[in-house]
Amino acid sequence: MREEHGNVAPVMIAKGEDPGDVRTDVPYQLMTILSNLYPWMSDGKKIAVLTRRCDEKALAEIFKRGYFDRARIVQIGLACSKEQIAACRCSDPVPSTVDIGEPHAGVGSDALSEKLMNMSSEERLRFWIYQFRKCNKCFACTANCPVCFCDECVLEERTFVPERGVPPGMSFHLIRAYHLADKCIECGECERSCPAGIPLLTFRKLVAKDFRDMYKFSPGDDKNVSPLLTTLEGEALEGDECNEC
Amino acid sequence: MKEMSAMNVEHVLTTCPYCGTGCNFFLQVVDDRLIGVVPCKTDEISRGQLCIKGYNAHAFVQHPDRLKTPLVREHGELKQTSWEAALDLLAGEIKRIKEKYGPDSIAFLASAKCTNEENYLFQKLARAAVQTNNVDHCARLCHASTVTGLLYSFGSGAMTNTIPEFENADCIFVTGSNTLEAHPIIGARMLKALDRGAKIIVIDPRDTPLSRLAHIKLSQRPGSDIAWINGMIKVIIDEGLVDQDFVKTRTTDFDKLKDVVKDATPEKVESITGIKPAELAEVARVYAKADRAMIAYAMGVTQHSNGTNIVEALANLAMVTGHIGSESNGLNPLRGQCNVQGSCDSGGLPNLFPGYQRVDDEKARAKFEQAWDVKLPAKPGLTLTCAIKEAAVGKLKAMVIFGENIMMSDPDLGHVEDAIKELELLAVIDIFPTETSKFAHIVLPAACYAEKDGTFTNTDRAVRLIRKAVNPPGDAWPDWKIACELGKRLGAKGFDFSSPAEVMAEMATVTPIYGGIDHDRLDREVLRWPCPSKDHKGTRILHTQKFTKGLGTFAPVDHAPPAETPSDEYPFILTTGRNLFQYHTGTMTRRSSKLEREAPEPYVEMNKGDAKRLGISEGDRVSVSSRRGTINLKARVTERIIPGSIFIPFHYAEAAANRLTNAALDPESKIPEFKVCAADVQKG
Repeated sequence: MREEHGNVAPVMIAKGEDPGDVRTDVPYQLMTILSNLYPWMSDGKKIAVLTRRCDEKALAEIFKRGYFDRARIVQIGLACSKEQIAACRCSDPVPSTVDIGEPHAGVGSDALSEKLMNMSSEERLRFWIYQFRKCNKCFACTANCPVCFCDECVLEERTFVPERGVPPGMSFHLIRAYHLADKCIECGECERSCPAGIPLLTFRKLVAKDFRDMYKFSPGDDKNVSPLLTTLEGEALEGDECNEC
Repeated sequence: MKEMSAMNVEHVLTTCPYCGTGCNFFLQVVDDRLIGVVPCKTDEISRGQLCIKGYNAHAFVQHPDRLKTPLVREHGELKQTSWEAALDLLAGEIKRIKEKYGPDSIAFLASAKCTNEENYLFQKLARAAVQTNNVDHCARLCHASTVTGLLYSFGSGAMTNTIPEFENADCIFVTGSNTLEAHPIIGARMLKALDRGAKIIVIDPRDTPLSRLAHIKLSQRPGSDIAWINGMIKVIIDEGLVDQDFVKTRTTDFDKLKDVVKDATPEKVESITGIKPAELAEVARVYAKADRAMIAYAMGVTQHSNGTNIVEALANLAMVTGHIGSESNGLNPLRGQCNVQGSCDSGGLPNLFPGYQRVDDEKARAKFEQAWDVKLPAKPGLTLTCAIKEAAVGKLKAMVIFGENIMMSDPDLGHVEDAIKELELLAVIDIFPTETSKFAHIVLPAACYAEKDGTFTNTDRAVRLIRKAVNPPGDAWPDWKIACELGKRLGAKGFDFSSPAEVMAEMATVTPIYGGIDHDRLDREVLRWPCPSKDHKGTRILHTQKFTKGLGTFAPVDHAPPAETPSDEYPFILTTGRNLFQYHTGTMTRRSSKLEREAPEPYVEMNKGDAKRLGISEGDRVSVSSRRGTINLKARVTERIIPGSIFIPFHYAEAAANRLTNAALDPESKIPEFKVCAADVQKG
């Protein structure tokens, strides 16, 4: 990121170019920004990218699925500030290699998660119904997500999400929750970019907790394990397809 | 040194081309290809958040339909030609028509989609190069009544507060604005206030995404606004909720107001509006008693044949409670286009020079005559709506239209079509072929927002830079360059500009509210007008110590019925508007696949009970007629609109709502009554 026009902008700096007033304190989701650019960057050259711990996990998910060529990506480890860690309620903020910044410990809890888990399930449902009623279908949560990578998004499929409807209904958010269950790395970009202020990071954290407790699975580890929900490669469906629909 | 072989990857900060919120974002560019939009996290207004239109603002820019070469009609067909030939022809025709019929036989339409610098040049073309004040633009169709109404009440026709202030209001009173669909990021600020515990009140004939979240939602009959506003003021007076100190020290003519609202009894108001007295009284109390209360309104208020009066009624409401002139207290017209505030500021209006200086004021005219070194006409020019009427009767002979699509956006399109067919010269400068360019003799290809530099002024008066991210397609030129070349060919002085920054420098010298504004400053800071000098930081809140005109003036306005009321033949009230996914005449959004996917076809919303009575089910094809035309479209059966009213969005050329609307005009502002006409619905 660089200071420009009285703002902080994401920038791609070419080799030999003056980097200018570089900033690392504004939480742009650089993996998403790079994912947009990557298909167009056909020159095969190496790309170095500022990488927080959550970005490192996002890259692991991206590499697993073969979207980036691992050999082209050079990670510059960024340790997040205390303020950023608090804002993200992040329990795992230190990248494997710290090149920039001082490492700080993570925070163990998300106050809203705890408050919600102390509610009755009816109260909790009411809370989320209110939150999702504010949704204005901007698709910011998918557009800015570093691990939303399907070519055809099910949320843009009329069978599941009717056209035009605002707000789009609970199913929109539940489908998204399900689709991200095995890859969300809790970077919080969905929450930061949500104009309606829906606490989407808390929503993600609650789903992630269930996955940890039930399946001992956490997305974003750098070992090359297959994604939990899409372990289909090499396992043909022949004979097992459902004939009813 | 940058490596020569490296791909050119850029993130260009610019301003959204859709509504008037003025969100900033980065356009992602790889080697002159526009590939995406990234929100700007440090932008004061958008804070890293955008709506679905913002996220798709790159999608139409490099669409194959873009106009790429100048076109001239020969033997009935538009043929490609060179810029030289097209501009020579255009200038020649303007000169010929001016000589034969006089300068007032020519009208220019400026554009709320073009920059301030371009609009400044468009009005200068009309005034200095052709000697006519016939210059207007689509503000005539959206907030003309705000400009006339608030000039009378306060002395300034713009938002009194800033967008971020909505977040800190205790009461947000919204009427005639579908804020979450039409101004989503302003709506987002209202949602933040809601989360904080602020009371949101919505008064609208339709349910909207915001009204469904509001604490109080009331539905009035379309065309009955002054009745309920006066009813509220009566409650406020009767219950002793008037801000006496404010009224005494800051305003005038309160007695006249008292006199007119004393007749607005609860029973009478209910009979006109359909709103229950107890509910209206509750709204009056919540609004009047709040510490910080902001009114937001839009086209539901302005687009009436008494739009100016309705705006003045809302101004009365704000003044009587003292909810104006301080942090999170004010009256806020939400402007609908990226630069509709700016195109008014820059003088794209037939009676006003840049900065709202009157053309019939000798002192103002002398100033511009000296600045431009040319004699200027004193007579105010034709409004857009009147220009169409004059064209129909053969008095207006030529129209030069920069970036407007009047064959979709104006009322009673059948009449507009007849009128523009009468013209000897119709020139259209646009980025895509439009319903209007089909009728043009000359069509010139323009650069869009992503292909040029300049400024847009958003709805809260912030002047925001747009920056060139990619080259225009083919031979397309930015409008400012087209205007300069045309000005020179018309033999006028003062069109030798080599950049928009130079144009702004000139505009600042003659426009006091922009006096301190230049591109260098805008590159570093957010400036809101009035910004009279280089060391002035701009103005966030208007009317803090006194109103722009001195004392605020109460206008004693009373209810009057709309120009058309339902009849046996046309029993429904048709009201028109927008949806979240499409934008105005659809030229840009309908070429953006993700937006078009969400709202691909025209529809009419009607109440369940009405539909049942007529045997109409959800999704049925219906024909909707008014005294002016008929369109065919799908029915959407809903409880979200009151019985007796129907709603059609005006985005769709294949069933253009404006075939039906009434061109009845507000006498002061000449805004048409888009929000009320009598209509009929038939199955099939």
